[in-house]
Amino acid sequence: MYDVIIIGSGISGACIARECSKYQMKTLVLEKNTDVASETTLANSAIIHAGHDPKPGTLKAKFNLIGSRMYEQMSKDLDIPYWKSGGMVVATSEEEVNHIEMLYHRGLENGLKETELSILDQDQVRKMEANISDDVLKALYLPTTAITYPMEAAIANLENAMDNGVELKTGEEVIDLTKEEDHFIVKTNNHTLKARIVVNAAGLYAEHISNMLVPNYFTITPRRGEYLVLDKDVDLVSNVIYPVPSKKGKGILATPQYHGNVLLGPTSEFVNFSQAKTTTSDGLKDIKDHIKKSVKNIPYHKVIRTFAGSRPTPSTKDFIIEETNVEGFINVAGIESPGLSAAPAYAIYVVEELILKKYNFEQNKGFNPYRKKVHRMNELTIDEKNKLFQENKSYGEIICRCEQVTKGEIIDAIHRNAGAHTVVGVKHRTRAGAGRCQSGFCQSQVAKILSEELNVPLEEVKYQGEHSRIVKEKTKGEDSERI
Amino acid sequence: MNEYDAIIIGGGSAGLAAAISLYNEGVKDILLLERDKELGGILNQCIHNGFGLKVFKEELTGPEYAERYKQEFLEKNIAYKTSTMVIKCSKDRVVEYANEEEGFVQIKGKAILLTTGCYERNAGAIALPGHRPSGVITAGAAQKYLNMDGYLVGKKVFILGSGDIGLIMARRMTLEGAEVLGVAEVMPYSGGLKRNIVQCLDDYNIPLYLSHTVTEIIGEEHIEQIVLQEVKDFVPLEGTKKVFDVDTLLLSIGLIPEQSLAEQVGIVLDKKTRGPIVDDSYQTSVDGYFACGNALHVHDLVDFVSKESSQAGKAVADFLKQNTKKSEAIPTIPKKGISYIVPQKIHLDHQNQALDLFFRVDNVYQNQDIVLTSNQKEIKRYKKRHLAPAEMEKIILPPALLKELQGDLELSVEVRDQ
Repeated sequence: MYDVIIIGSGISGACIARECSKYQMKTLVLEKNTDVASETTLANSAIIHAGHDPKPGTLKAKFNLIGSRMYEQMSKDLDIPYWKSGGMVVATSEEEVNHIEMLYHRGLENGLKETELSILDQDQVRKMEANISDDVLKALYLPTTAITYPMEAAIANLENAMDNGVELKTGEEVIDLTKEEDHFIVKTNNHTLKARIVVNAAGLYAEHISNMLVPNYFTITPRRGEYLVLDKDVDLVSNVIYPVPSKKGKGILATPQYHGNVLLGPTSEFVNFSQAKTTTSDGLKDIKDHIKKSVKNIPYHKVIRTFAGSRPTPSTKDFIIEETNVEGFINVAGIESPGLSAAPAYAIYVVEELILKKYNFEQNKGFNPYRKKVHRMNELTIDEKNKLFQENKSYGEIICRCEQVTKGEIIDAIHRNAGAHTVVGVKHRTRAGAGRCQSGFCQSQVAKILSEELNVPLEEVKYQGEHSRIVKEKTKGEDSERI
Repeated sequence: MNEYDAIIIGGGSAGLAAAISLYNEGVKDILLLERDKELGGILNQCIHNGFGLKVFKEELTGPEYAERYKQEFLEKNIAYKTSTMVIKCSKDRVVEYANEEEGFVQIKGKAILLTTGCYERNAGAIALPGHRPSGVITAGAAQKYLNMDGYLVGKKVFILGSGDIGLIMARRMTLEGAEVLGVAEVMPYSGGLKRNIVQCLDDYNIPLYLSHTVTEIIGEEHIEQIVLQEVKDFVPLEGTKKVFDVDTLLLSIGLIPEQSLAEQVGIVLDKKTRGPIVDDSYQTSVDGYFACGNALHVHDLVDFVSKESSQAGKAVADFLKQNTKKSEAIPTIPKKGISYIVPQKIHLDHQNQALDLFFRVDNVYQNQDIVLTSNQKEIKRYKKRHLAPAEMEKIILPPALLKELQGDLELSVEVRDQ
């Protein structure tokens, strides 16, 4: 019997798991995919929003502000990429200028300090951003806007939770959920499990999970966002450039990433689940049409990748973070933007307010808040690199040329808690294959390292999901099926 | 910090030919760095024949061709390191490399030659719509799995792009028991050599769909289907959708010079070739940095890479002996019908030897002239029966002709009706 089962290993499930690990709760995280955090958390703009945008009084407003203020410390403790880029909401008409002035006051109402937001005139904007569109009249400047690497934020929280005793099972899809007298029966494709408390952090599938116990509570519709990724050598913007938001959301942004790329997107379109991660030529065209309004000089021949992800947009228009009328069943649903920013804050709320006020759990005295340092070789000096190399020669072998990732980093990413066991999993943790050649050269080497470290033949090395693969069959050699 | 007269980055066909040529010119203090376990570069995985007709006057496979250069290189005892990746270069010619023997090491060169080859354009670069499953792979990567590692990536294959590697792989995978359903080319003409269309597609009854492209990838985890559509001016035409069940989509949609190191140094790149802008001594915009082979512009025959790189080796030797030109360089400007010219600028006062101009045309042309003009005056006319973007063209400018180009002159090449 588990004390807590968390369904979903995105940023919500991951942060909640870590909070649980601070107490003596026997906790299990279930993830239906082959790898953790591979839905909404994987494909978004990676922004820690300042907190200017949500409507005052909502859960979004409350947790955005608290969460964004926790990120810097959390990033230090868990060694998560974090960079205070700053952000600006740019206005291109008098009407939009009025809107950013409204956002300025809204920001203050949401709790931002006066030093944390200001209105810039055209010259000030130009000085900071050379490629801002000529149509921009004014901007709301938000210096506390920051960038993280969402996948790693989730992985780091899960890894630290596991280091502190939490269990994780991937490839476990919850197919049925029932309540007995004082516990839940959680049936997955592989196991039947028991838990006193169930936290539904299933993202896009949270409605589906919730309906198993409390039908018709809310709906979740995937709202797809498509993106273009520019190569690292493109020096386009250094702040997050937001247009003035519309009814469809925050609009098409230009977002500098921690690793040097710039993202253009996302679009905003309600789709069915099968289309939640597909890109379309219309969507990509839409990005180009809309970004013009705020940013100029975009070198489209430097696009190295496109991707799409979907926000779990709830019928309630706000985060749903509450215990349901089934005791012990907690929904953490409808976590669209600013979910990434808010997650560390509502994770505490879930554990301290929704769990600990009803259930008694002792503190975990042995809780270690720190994650073992991740060596990112391309961020180190030559002396630091050689020191690591002396300890372990595999830190001298570069596997991914574009992102300069060593074999040592890849092996480490495989063997950590919540480690990589697919080619894409390695990419998300180390960036091997995320550069301009898009793994053209390093994929076979990464696959070979996975095959060696996981002790499986190359034909069984997974690209991404259970049914994905790298190669079909061996044509030569001793164990080839051919004669 | 160890110092060398010349550091050559990349031990493929370009690096090997340049090193041999440098050595023959008397420059012996050379270090060549190669990232792979073996010298030879991409030739090692090109096990088909068709190499060497220009250089050796006989038909060789890729590994055989590489072997000839490797032997000559090794006989000279030129210093080299394999399994060694160069990760940084600086304006003052400090090169940082890494390998499993020495860790991270900095060295310095009087001259640095970038012979880093090229990489394949991929699905991301062309924003291929749909899912992003496994089974979508560049043709060269599939070739490496098959020819180097002994694995077939799939058995029901469609190929997007009619670049040479894709054509070669159509035949190669067919011979390994895969079914190749077709090759789609967005342009109205092929991107590969004529001989490869005949020998790799026609001989195996593999259809080539010109003016077609893949407009959707279907399959959440592994690719299941592709949608093929006819296009006009790059716009898919309604009512032309064809769906193919596949387990693999190979991409053969072009090659791009690998110039990450050049970008670190601030070397100016040509928007069209995407390699550095060089003068007739293969020197880039940064003093002491040179480039040749596919790192400079993508070639269709390795023989031309070798020849160009031999010349580049000579030019680097001249630079080291301080026999550099002093005159201003004049630009070579691609005009109507020409997509690029290499070198992008030439010096006029050193020319006791002939100069090669390499270029590509922007469309398929029949019975046209290549016209060389300078200062709006026609200098020379070259009759061409057939011109195609897939086939690199070369004209040789003899010293006598170069002497005609005097003063502040502009060189242009045009395609014109006869």
